[in-house]
Amino acid sequence: MIAHTPIPAPADPHKGHKHHEYPPGDLAIWVFILAELSAFFVLFAAYAFTRLKHLDLFNEMQKTLDSDAGMLNTLLLITGSWCVARAIAAIKRNLCRQSAHWLLAGILTGVGFLIVKYFEYGAKFAVGINLDTNLFYTFYIALTMFHAMHVVLGMAILLIIWKKAMAGGYSAQDHHGMETGASYWHMVDLVWIILFPLVYIMR
Amino acid sequence: MSTHFLNVIWVALMVATLLTWFIGKSMAMNVSLVVAVLIISAVKGWLIIYDFMALRRVKVLWRGLVLGWLLLTLAVILLAYWLGLK
Repeated sequence: MIAHTPIPAPADPHKGHKHHEYPPGDLAIWVFILAELSAFFVLFAAYAFTRLKHLDLFNEMQKTLDSDAGMLNTLLLITGSWCVARAIAAIKRNLCRQSAHWLLAGILTGVGFLIVKYFEYGAKFAVGINLDTNLFYTFYIALTMFHAMHVVLGMAILLIIWKKAMAGGYSAQDHHGMETGASYWHMVDLVWIILFPLVYIMR
Repeated sequence: MSTHFLNVIWVALMVATLLTWFIGKSMAMNVSLVVAVLIISAVKGWLIIYDFMALRRVKVLWRGLVLGWLLLTLAVILLAYWLGLK
């Protein structure tokens, strides 16, 4: 373990009025994030406009969803995003171990999300609901499973970053890799912020 | 970004989520509530983009691309719901 000296004040790069040329992390991840956001835009628009042609079906079927599970998962992803933002704030103060703990907390919120999803899907599959049940459930299962795959990928990235953080691999001067992974994790949260009201709430 | 500020943003996002859930659970949805839910989502997305993704002080092109995605997506959803009222 490499020991880093904590620095007293947050080394806030946003202090003052200087605007950065590029977003935090590797530029390549931002190209990937924009591609992912575009894919979700198409899926959300497809859901909204397909609903237009099947209003009664979508409104009826939406009532069969567990909005409590959707709410709980939203709280988990927001908390996960906050944990990772705190990890970045910690590493900017050279607090490597504390940063690793925040990353681990972020990973655990992802585990919680998947557990809730497991029970939510389990309840639906137990009563014979599947992709072919109707158009609403085709969208519900496809959209939420596609998103869940992104949660799993985000957790895998956080796990790699967490291991490196535990080994003292980041510092206030060098945390570019952590910011790269954090940016992807926030994207997963951002997408769910729209998915939750669209699929579970609005009718 | 101070940790206190991040904590405040987290609490605001949690409260906004509970408000969205309460609207869906307890109220008969109408066009005003759909607009309210979309506005809450826009504010939540804005906070995540500015303060968790840390794009607040990044040049407008990058911030604009992600914010533009958020607003365009919500606008398309609003359009589809509005057409459904006709």
